[in-house]
Amino acid sequence: MVMTLFHGEPTGPSLTVLAALFESGLEADLKPIDLTRAERHGGIVPLNLEARYSVEGEGPVLVVDGEALSDSVFIGCFLDDAAPGCGLRPTDPYARWEMMAWCRWMIERLAPGAAALANLAWTTPGLAALNESVFEALIAPIEAQDLRERWIATRAGALPDDQRAASEARVHEAAKKIEDRLSDREWIMGDFSLADLESYSWVAPMRDLVPAAFEGKPRLAAWLARVEARPSVQRALAQARTAAPAHGFAPGPEINRWG
Amino acid sequence: MTSDVTLYHWEPNANSGKPMLTLVEKGVPFNSHYIDLLAFDQHKPDYLAINPMGTIPAMTHGGRLMNESTAIMEYVEEAFPGPALMPADAVDRWRVRWWMKFFDQWLGPSLSMLGWNVGIGPKVRERDPEELKAAIERIPLPERRIAWRKAIYGLFSEEELAESRRRILIGIELTERTLGEREWLACESYSLADINAFNSAYFLPLSQSEHCNDELTPNIMRWLRAIYARPAVKTTWAMGRTKMAERIKIFEGQEVDDKW
Repeated sequence: MVMTLFHGEPTGPSLTVLAALFESGLEADLKPIDLTRAERHGGIVPLNLEARYSVEGEGPVLVVDGEALSDSVFIGCFLDDAAPGCGLRPTDPYARWEMMAWCRWMIERLAPGAAALANLAWTTPGLAALNESVFEALIAPIEAQDLRERWIATRAGALPDDQRAASEARVHEAAKKIEDRLSDREWIMGDFSLADLESYSWVAPMRDLVPAAFEGKPRLAAWLARVEARPSVQRALAQARTAAPAHGFAPGPEINRWG
Repeated sequence: MTSDVTLYHWEPNANSGKPMLTLVEKGVPFNSHYIDLLAFDQHKPDYLAINPMGTIPAMTHGGRLMNESTAIMEYVEEAFPGPALMPADAVDRWRVRWWMKFFDQWLGPSLSMLGWNVGIGPKVRERDPEELKAAIERIPLPERRIAWRKAIYGLFSEEELAESRRRILIGIELTERTLGEREWLACESYSLADINAFNSAYFLPLSQSEHCNDELTPNIMRWLRAIYARPAVKTTWAMGRTKMAERIKIFEGQEVDDKW
């Protein structure tokens, strides 16, 4: 099995997948790309239908024997399937159900809002400074129209008030969910798992943007420090190429069209 | 039937149909508990005592509750013996999960938006307005309350409906392209991805007859017929109680009135 991981700065889905790869003990060639400038679509990454229509949006891509794998939680499951016993997932079927349901909440409920807030704060200014034709050329190869529209909205800094409020509410909800969950345990699933990485990668960058959500939550604070201290996470964070790697977001999953 | 598995479900369709067909394919006996979605049984105290989220489907196994239909499917695959519904290869397994998410989160919401707008919404609105209002107030999850309000009162804008129609055409195109490359949706064997997708796609030759038919999408039609031919599909769809489930009879060459 020959693997190449095309990843952005260690934040959001790229942080999840980098750390999950290191937890798995599997070998992959690491290829940093600038997700914030749509490099995923620039011809370097051998995209397939699945990567072009990835629900996660601009996440990392793990190429396995020529096939492009996308969506961080599923890449994490792949690594666990390929390296059984590495601990990314529990072994009991019920615990696995619980982990998948937990991760699904994070990707479907938290991630769209967290990505929108992070992009607005950190990615919009850089895109807005680009010449119109340069920007158009960057997004021209993007096949999925809804993803291309999220890039245009990100450059315009367009986030309606109700969506901003709902996104901030999601961050509060996620912080409380984790604080409550940790009342009798150190990790989300009891033992460390992919659920810790996926949750950390979306929640940790929100400390700068929605600080109120983190107030008075000692278990959450201790857990954030615990995840960050793991060797796999430290090694992932060491892949940074910019001064503020936590800010390296690009358009993520869309905000639920059903409200 | 005596079993320590109980499934709370509505019609064999979309989310409810996913664990139903998975259990039947796997040969797992289960107690079937029909919840009438259109009577809002899923938000009534009896059911909330079992599943506080008020969503269907939900499954209990030995007293433990599970919700989220796709996560339940993987549980059934792993917790019970029976024919394998997940491939052995790790990349193939990734592809199964990717396609289930594509149907659950990208294509599914567009199909359900049009389905509610054209089919279910108008039927529900025949109910007593006060009763509908009270039913919405009882929904426990705030995001589900917003979604149900939109669905019940048909509060979709023209732009939203147009976007859903656009996505359905793309979904049909991507599915057709994929099934032109391999026999089943995610790999070379029948898997959870086929079970998941069939529940959202079996009525496309009806509701999208001008875009999904033998001439334009021969691979989708071949795939739908191959799944319909499975005995588990007959058993599962026989558990339906409304005209919705009868749409499956198009594969018998029968005329069907309700297109959504």
